[in-house]
Amino acid sequence: MSLTGYVARRLLHLVPVVLGVTILCFFLIHLVPGDPARTILGNQATDQRVALLRHEWGLDRPLPVQYGKFMDRVAHGDLGTSLFYNVPAGNLVLQRLPVTLWLICYGAILSVLIAVPLAVIAATRRDRLGDHAIRVVPLVGLGFPSFWIGIMLLLVFGLHLGRPFPVGGYGEGFFGHLHSMFLPALTVALAISPILIRSLRAAMLEVLDSEYITTARSKGLPERRVLTKHALRNAAGSTVSVLGVNIGFLVGGTLVIEQVFAVPGIGQLMINSIFQRDFPVVQGVTLVFGILVVLVYLATDVLHSLLDPRVRFD
Amino acid sequence: MTVRTRLLSLAILVAVAALCATAALGSRTATPKRGGSVTIARIEDSQSFDKTTVFQNESIWLAEQIMEPLYTVTPDGKNVKPWLATSYKVSNGGKTYTFKLRPGVKFSNGKTMTSADVKFSIDDARAQSKGWGYLDAAIKNITAPNPSTVVFNLKFTWAPFLADIALFANGIIPNKFNGETRANFYKHPVGTGPFMWDKRVVGQSVTFKRNPFYWQKGKPYLDSVTWKFVTDENTRELQLRGNQIQVDEFPPFNSIQKLQNTPGVTMTLFPSTRTDYLDMNQKYPPLADRHVRRAISHAIDRQAIIKSVLFGHGKPANSFLPPQVPFYNPNSGGLQYDIAKAKAEMAQSKYPKGFKVALLVGAGAQVEAAMGQILQSSLKQLGIDVTFNQKDTSTEFQDIQKQNYQLAFSYWTMDIADPDELVTFAVDIKGGGAHSFYTEYNNPTVVNLSHQAQRETNVAKRAQLYNKLQQIAAGDAFLGFLYYSPFRYAYSSKLHGFFVYPLGNYHLEDAWLG
Repeated sequence: MSLTGYVARRLLHLVPVVLGVTILCFFLIHLVPGDPARTILGNQATDQRVALLRHEWGLDRPLPVQYGKFMDRVAHGDLGTSLFYNVPAGNLVLQRLPVTLWLICYGAILSVLIAVPLAVIAATRRDRLGDHAIRVVPLVGLGFPSFWIGIMLLLVFGLHLGRPFPVGGYGEGFFGHLHSMFLPALTVALAISPILIRSLRAAMLEVLDSEYITTARSKGLPERRVLTKHALRNAAGSTVSVLGVNIGFLVGGTLVIEQVFAVPGIGQLMINSIFQRDFPVVQGVTLVFGILVVLVYLATDVLHSLLDPRVRFD
Repeated sequence: MTVRTRLLSLAILVAVAALCATAALGSRTATPKRGGSVTIARIEDSQSFDKTTVFQNESIWLAEQIMEPLYTVTPDGKNVKPWLATSYKVSNGGKTYTFKLRPGVKFSNGKTMTSADVKFSIDDARAQSKGWGYLDAAIKNITAPNPSTVVFNLKFTWAPFLADIALFANGIIPNKFNGETRANFYKHPVGTGPFMWDKRVVGQSVTFKRNPFYWQKGKPYLDSVTWKFVTDENTRELQLRGNQIQVDEFPPFNSIQKLQNTPGVTMTLFPSTRTDYLDMNQKYPPLADRHVRRAISHAIDRQAIIKSVLFGHGKPANSFLPPQVPFYNPNSGGLQYDIAKAKAEMAQSKYPKGFKVALLVGAGAQVEAAMGQILQSSLKQLGIDVTFNQKDTSTEFQDIQKQNYQLAFSYWTMDIADPDELVTFAVDIKGGGAHSFYTEYNNPTVVNLSHQAQRETNVAKRAQLYNKLQQIAAGDAFLGFLYYSPFRYAYSSKLHGFFVYPLGNYHLEDAWLG
């Protein structure tokens, strides 16, 4: 099957996934106890005021009717209106989405920049001090929770050492984002890198033991070329899959990092909306999460196949 | 000590005292500077700026920077003073109030405020049945005989009327929403306040800029104020220390001491009307027993709670009214910690051997968990077996309001400078709309006293009514009065004139950067 056909088929798979996500999300969030009207009205939530607000939002109708209305709106590209902010939920989600995508992509790039050189060094210095250090030190970092690492980075680089980075925020413009998002992205990278290093090191060791590497070396190819052209490229396939799985996980898991660094991303929106029982926003964010995860896995598979021609599209 | 040494010590003491006095006087009398911007970081984002229907403090305190009422609350939170009106006269046996409007007040769009704007604003506010309209229920009609006079005719004498008029919901906006729809108007409201709308990124920040037409000449001093939504308390503190923000709203109690010792940071505890309670739902039979409730109230170790939860920054509550509310009576007999008395009350109850009770606690709410453990330990001595029922905060809130609980924690902050709002909510089982703070407490004598106090305009007589009401309510122990706690603000030492009122609002027209 051609690449285009494969991508088209995988994109078609999005339809049942999205449908499943909407059904699950809609009914689960409505089944959870907690009433948005009471949350918004606070201590002044008399039964009369709660009833008025619920009627205004259509929450007094049967759930299947509400779901039908929701799906009708989704089909027209409308995720409904945020109950808390009274603005289109779709706008809220789209406004936050680039922030989270920035964080994930930036984090993924940094994790590759950290993991690849370290994994190559570890693989080429197998069982020597450098190898042991590279295998152990990042694991220590993995043992600490992200919020702790984030706060430490903020303390060191946001308050001390000449304050090279701001204490949180998203920044303005491309270079502003690059600057402001460095510490959050580094926190993401520090969480993923140990896994990537171990995966890539193991793959590299396997590749370096294979006969074609011996052949390449015996042909007199420079070691650098052997490592980058032949070993790394072949070893990268499985690591791309590991990275993809982790990015898929990160799509819904950047919340802690967003909170610590005051990054106005989609994870933060999701949590706040759940606490506020802002149904349209929760549904909208979940829908976007679902689509994103599918797209990330698709991109991972495509990249894997491009790196390793033996992988076929079927 | 020789005479010479004593003289020397005295001279040093006098010098130090003189220096301190000069410094204190200097900071109080320093000339405000114009310019600069301030960023306030807080744990919640603003929901809406429709002052007539929003109930969230993080929205209300911002709306007040734009829309101002005829009268406003005094700094002690116990009275009102003229604001957009300069005076009022009462006639018709207390049923007609005639206000004189302050001359020369303009909206931020440059138009002069008139009585037509006032009439429209308050008529609109009182029409909002799902908002704050209920507080204006005493108003029969409003007339505007001339541009600088507004007349309020009441259905009956209503003692809290001035306090109600000073409510943010009764802030003045341009007639007919300045030609816009209500929904559009409140997306960027216009008022007479020190600041005017600039921009908002929903879910992130709100920025107001100086109103060039502000009626207090020379004010506000600041060019703009931005409120940022920063959920993590550690990040807010680091941003304050890094000068990315100038005000950290509500730092946690365990950070207060550290912030008090942080250079460049002023940590202030402003007296507040916040009062925390233990709700006892009388629908659960043991809690309908007055002796049981009194026993529980006596068993609450308030000092232990204040020490462990507030890190000492609070006071035990001795009435359901806080000290910053008019007619608060410190001698109302609110029950205090005394295990011997608690056991004596239990012995007189229908449950001398105790009973099982579930305490509703917010999942992840550390303060409630800590208070719950202290309570659990105390009540065990009375044979009351407390189990925790953990729910996420939204569900917890709903369960309290639907009275689907036995014991729960709750709190209150005042919106007006009059006890009526809280008293009605807490003891008037039918009129308050909240089943007496969701407890089902129903004492006809107390309800009757609250109704009398609403109509009694003689201050001394009103005080007597509220004294009696507080005493009976305290004796009935319908709520466990826990503690009074302050509003906590950490801010840059360069920020001056920042003052938080007991109702939680602040007048940023007085704030300036040094």
